[in-house]
Amino acid sequence: MFLEKIFSKGNKENQVIGHITKQIKLLCTACGFFKTALETDNLNLMRQIMDIERSADNIRRDIISKIYEGAFLPYLRPDLCKFVEIVDSIFDLLKDTGYRYLDLKLPDQLKSECVQVAFLNRRICEMLLITFESMLKGEDLREKILAIRIYEKKIDDIKFDLIRDARKIEITNFWDGEILSQFLSCLTSISDVIEDASDHLQIIHVSMK
Amino acid sequence: MKVKEFMTTNIESIGYKRSAYHAVEKMVNRRIRCLLVRFPGKEKEYGVITARDVVFKVLAKGIDPKKIEVSKIASKPIVAIDQNTDFKEVAKIMEESNIARAFVCDQDRIIGLVALMDVMSAAIIARARGEHVS
Amino acid sequence: MWKIISGIFLGWSLGANDCANIFGTGVTTGIVKYRTAILLTAIFVLIGSIIEGPKCMRIVSNLSRLVPIEAFLCALAAAITMTILTYFAIPASTSQAIIGAVIGAGILSESADFSKLIKIVACWILTPIGGIIFGYLLYYGLKFIFDKTVPTLTYRNTIYAVGIIVAGCYGAYSLGANNVANVTGIYVGSGLLSCQMAGFIGGLSIASGALTYGKKVMLTVGKGIAPLDPFTALVTVLAEALTLHLFTQIGVPVSSSQAVVGAVVGVGIVGGVRTLNPKILVKIAVGWLMTPFAAGFMAMIFIYVMPA
Repeated sequence: MFLEKIFSKGNKENQVIGHITKQIKLLCTACGFFKTALETDNLNLMRQIMDIERSADNIRRDIISKIYEGAFLPYLRPDLCKFVEIVDSIFDLLKDTGYRYLDLKLPDQLKSECVQVAFLNRRICEMLLITFESMLKGEDLREKILAIRIYEKKIDDIKFDLIRDARKIEITNFWDGEILSQFLSCLTSISDVIEDASDHLQIIHVSMK
Repeated sequence: MKVKEFMTTNIESIGYKRSAYHAVEKMVNRRIRCLLVRFPGKEKEYGVITARDVVFKVLAKGIDPKKIEVSKIASKPIVAIDQNTDFKEVAKIMEESNIARAFVCDQDRIIGLVALMDVMSAAIIARARGEHVS
Repeated sequence: MWKIISGIFLGWSLGANDCANIFGTGVTTGIVKYRTAILLTAIFVLIGSIIEGPKCMRIVSNLSRLVPIEAFLCALAAAITMTILTYFAIPASTSQAIIGAVIGAGILSESADFSKLIKIVACWILTPIGGIIFGYLLYYGLKFIFDKTVPTLTYRNTIYAVGIIVAGCYGAYSLGANNVANVTGIYVGSGLLSCQMAGFIGGLSIASGALTYGKKVMLTVGKGIAPLDPFTALVTVLAEALTLHLFTQIGVPVSSSQAVVGAVVGVGIVGGVRTLNPKILVKIAVGWLMTPFAAGFMAMIFIYVMPA
């Protein structure tokens, strides 16, 4: 039992860490696809995000089962799993946003702001990856988490403008309006969940000190 | 980090003949601190009016804002920075011109605004990303 | 020879009662499996008893002049007191029980050496203080070392896991070394056993107590006193082991429970936070106060009542 722990030199832990890194990198890719798909109105690319979400789900299951097979102290496990679940929920949110996009015709007045948000979403995911890697090294996370907050605040500001501009658009069909509203809502809440995830990394970091 | 990454794209503008009062209304309503002033002419001419201009040049002097044109208190020409400028350069330009905000342009089109807060945020993000901030 | 049975009984109840101080936090935070914990405790207690057990036996055996039957009854009185306290899941001190019983017997036979008693009581008082000091110092010391040498998450994780197990083994060793004198020290004084034999038999009895009955108390110590994360759990056990080992060198058997509570307080002081549960502390204090008197009176009654 514990002898295994010493001799495996943290093998299980490294596997888990590898998987989580893969999960976050996949998230960055998905956000990148989303931004490009939005910019170029590429529906096929948008659909690929659904496939990515399915792969991410598999990765999540792998991570959780590896953790409970004996990686990391039992003390850490719930927080790690919570983090993984939060990251997974971002994929779901991205997928929902993609679905809405496929269902609507994005008004031109809103397009540039939406692309800006999508771009910032990608940036904030990259920052999450950087934060995770720093946490592994045991470094102080304050700077990185502040950077994530800055991105989130920027997106919030754009959201305010988006809603204001969206209100100027004439809606003739309730469902068109509803889907547009959901699209904007999903798009702008991705950064909130990422901020949540980064807060969780801070929790894990502090609990091991 | 390029300035286009951390600029605000929400720019409000106002015609040069409008009153200072109209400018105040717009700035207070939208909670922004400056407006782009549009001047007539074939060459796109711009000026800028800030909260400082209104307070120092109009309100402090006891002038009725409804009776003074924006063109009288705006500053010309504006400082415009290319969208691909690095934020450290932006900081330098702002320091040299002693301004708290500058416009960002793509060729001759104004596409955004960058303020001191944005430059600071860019510095934090650059550090966090591991880009060297000297 | 049958007279050593009460000592074995005493050792058994000591093992059951005190093994929680060593691996209690490790088990309740899920770092060590219960079965691993008691196995390791048993092994290292035995080793400690054999190697350094004799160091504390002199003071116990010289406290009162006892004939073998009196030794038997003292150990019996102490054992019964301890069993009752264990049943109510109150961590209590075997040292205080046996010393109380021996003094009780000594009072009856007018051979009690009160000057030695003063040294013993002084050490009892210093035990939690020692625990506090070691706890406080180790917290900062280890934190500094770990931050400098093991910053990464995976290494930290391994260090904590390995550390708690190693600290636990050291704690068990210290327990055996220090407390075996409580269990069989009186038989050395009354001539029934040699020091080495006393260490061996005493160690075996403590080990058996840990193996068979330690679970209930283990759950109280781990959960009841303070919420501990892996690092503070490690520091606490290490501080307790060091304290006990120190008093072993001084030659006085002391209470591992008191050392552990001292260690937890010491660590709590670092955070400046109320990490302790007052209700459990009161329960412990009551047990500690009652133990020597209860054991002493019981011993006196046994000896008095026994046909000469």
